[in-house]
Amino acid sequence: MAVHCPLIAQEGVIITGSLTQNPLQQPLGELPVIEFRGVYKTYQNGTHALRDVNLKIYKGEFVFVVGASGAGKSTFIKLIVREETPNAGAVSVNGFKSGAMTRRDVPRLRRTMGIVFQDFRLIPGMTVFDNVAFAMRVVGASNFDIRKRVSSALNLVGLGGKARSRPNELSGGEQQRVGLARALVNNPSLIIADEPTGNVDPNMSYEIVELLTEINRRGTTVIMVTHEHQLVRDFNRRVVMIESGSVIADSAAGGVL
Amino acid sequence: MKPQSMSYLTGEGLKNVWVNRMMSLASVGVLIACMLLIGVAVAFSLNVDKSLGTLQEQNVVMVYFEDGREETANLQSIDEIQHMDNIKDAVYIPKEEGLRAQLEQLGTEYEAIFSWLEEENPLPDGAMVTLSDLSEYDATYNALQALPGIKNVNGSRDVAMMVTTVSRIIGLAGFWIILLLMLIALVIIANTIRITIHNRRLEISIMKAVGATNWFIRIPFIVEGMALGVISGVLTTGLLYLVYSFATQSVNKYYPGQLELVPFRSFYLNLFGIFIAIGLFAGVAGSLVSLGKYLKREGSAFGAIH
Ligand SMILES: Nc1ncnc2c1ncn2[C@@H]1O[C@H](COP(=O)(O)OP(=O)(O)OP(=O)(O)O)[C@@H](O)[C@H]1O
Ligand SMILES: [Mg+2]
Repeated sequence: MAVHCPLIAQEGVIITGSLTQNPLQQPLGELPVIEFRGVYKTYQNGTHALRDVNLKIYKGEFVFVVGASGAGKSTFIKLIVREETPNAGAVSVNGFKSGAMTRRDVPRLRRTMGIVFQDFRLIPGMTVFDNVAFAMRVVGASNFDIRKRVSSALNLVGLGGKARSRPNELSGGEQQRVGLARALVNNPSLIIADEPTGNVDPNMSYEIVELLTEINRRGTTVIMVTHEHQLVRDFNRRVVMIESGSVIADSAAGGVL
Repeated sequence: MKPQSMSYLTGEGLKNVWVNRMMSLASVGVLIACMLLIGVAVAFSLNVDKSLGTLQEQNVVMVYFEDGREETANLQSIDEIQHMDNIKDAVYIPKEEGLRAQLEQLGTEYEAIFSWLEEENPLPDGAMVTLSDLSEYDATYNALQALPGIKNVNGSRDVAMMVTTVSRIIGLAGFWIILLLMLIALVIIANTIRITIHNRRLEISIMKAVGATNWFIRIPFIVEGMALGVISGVLTTGLLYLVYSFATQSVNKYYPGQLELVPFRSFYLNLFGIFIAIGLFAGVAGSLVSLGKYLKREGSAFGAIH
């Protein structure tokens, strides 16, 4: 423990600095769950998707990521889940640092987070129950845990009664709630959702975000990319705006940078 | 890995064989064809070996001792020969015995004519030497020739060379044929697995997203590949039994007493072992080849699924 003390003190200094302009930020001394430091991402074809992104997200935060199409939002998400690696700078997520990760660390990192897809990614041949259970099976959970946890995840998203249904028997909103249950079932400390309401009826979008805020209230950090400005306004959470690969506004840092 | 996970993943692999059944059927068909070729090649070479073996056993070298040697000296030489390399057996044939054998061969009519030879036997004492490995014929021949007290050595070098060459060609061709068919089997299985991977890319993307290890992702496909190999091995052994029974019956009918095939039961277990080994190897290697490419190239949890 003693070894870590100077580190925490160091972080503390940085945080004190930002606290003056950032009343929403987390208590002094806490390490960020996600930190981007001078991150650049350029794709193979030369597209500069992110430029010099610096950002900290703390435990228990709910962050909307917004911006025009092609701004770099999905790239930002892909760097968090280690779908892509930065060309310069450092990304640190739940203690995994981009520069120091091996290939074996990738599944370890992903087990600390739950991912929600815009296209739901439900397996058509499986029941709702099996779709959620799948996420537990493939990381080696026991049948006992699977039975217990899948039911409670389905109850949490309000689909306890639909366990035996097939995905094609559900509405878009319901399908995404199954996706949410699957992201939650392994008890991650972080939920990542890239346009989770993109394929959902606007009325249903509220339900989804409602659920995400409920999950967030229980302590899970949530990062959600969205195009729906009305949603962002109504839920009044931290908003990070990306334009042409740069973070141009962050409500946590007092609005426009 | 927990046994529970192992049985789940194995079950998924076996399920893939069924879900993908048209492709499984096609690849099992091609694998059976490959293995059947191997089986026929092995059965053929076993039977050729057997007939060569009979030739080989008949191929003995006659060693003749110099005249006027003591019997004890000859017996000592025999003992020496028996301890040389590549000698299976050496039997002493004193000249009286040699003559008797030759006279017997001539038949009763001539026996009387040549019986005076028994008084003044012109034959030398000799030994009938059987070699263990005909491919070493020349070396052994020279070694025998070099022994003290040996007048000359008689053998049929041509037969020895023929037998050696034929079995060497069969061995070499068999090796390359098996290697080639094994590669074909591997490619066939790899191709089938590639299709399963394509059909299962949605599952794979979810597995990656929730943090399944690559080994977890691989196991069902490896199981599928192995299952295809083993199914093919079992069916091929059965088919080969039918084909071979038919061949044996035909041979017995058309060449009664002249030709006898090696019995199936004497080699089918070894062959079955070879089939299973090929099936398992091709199954594991084939699925790893396809997966290696996929996991590297399309290792994406997020990319759109087409
Ligand atoms: N794999 C890739 N290879 C090359 N260029 C890419 C790749 N992925 C994204 N880009 C480019 O990088 C830029 C940022 O893309 P990104 O997907 O991050 O945008 P986005 O903000 O998520 O857009 P949208 O709102 O349309 O989803 C775009 O110009 C895009 O064309
Ligand atoms: Mg996007």
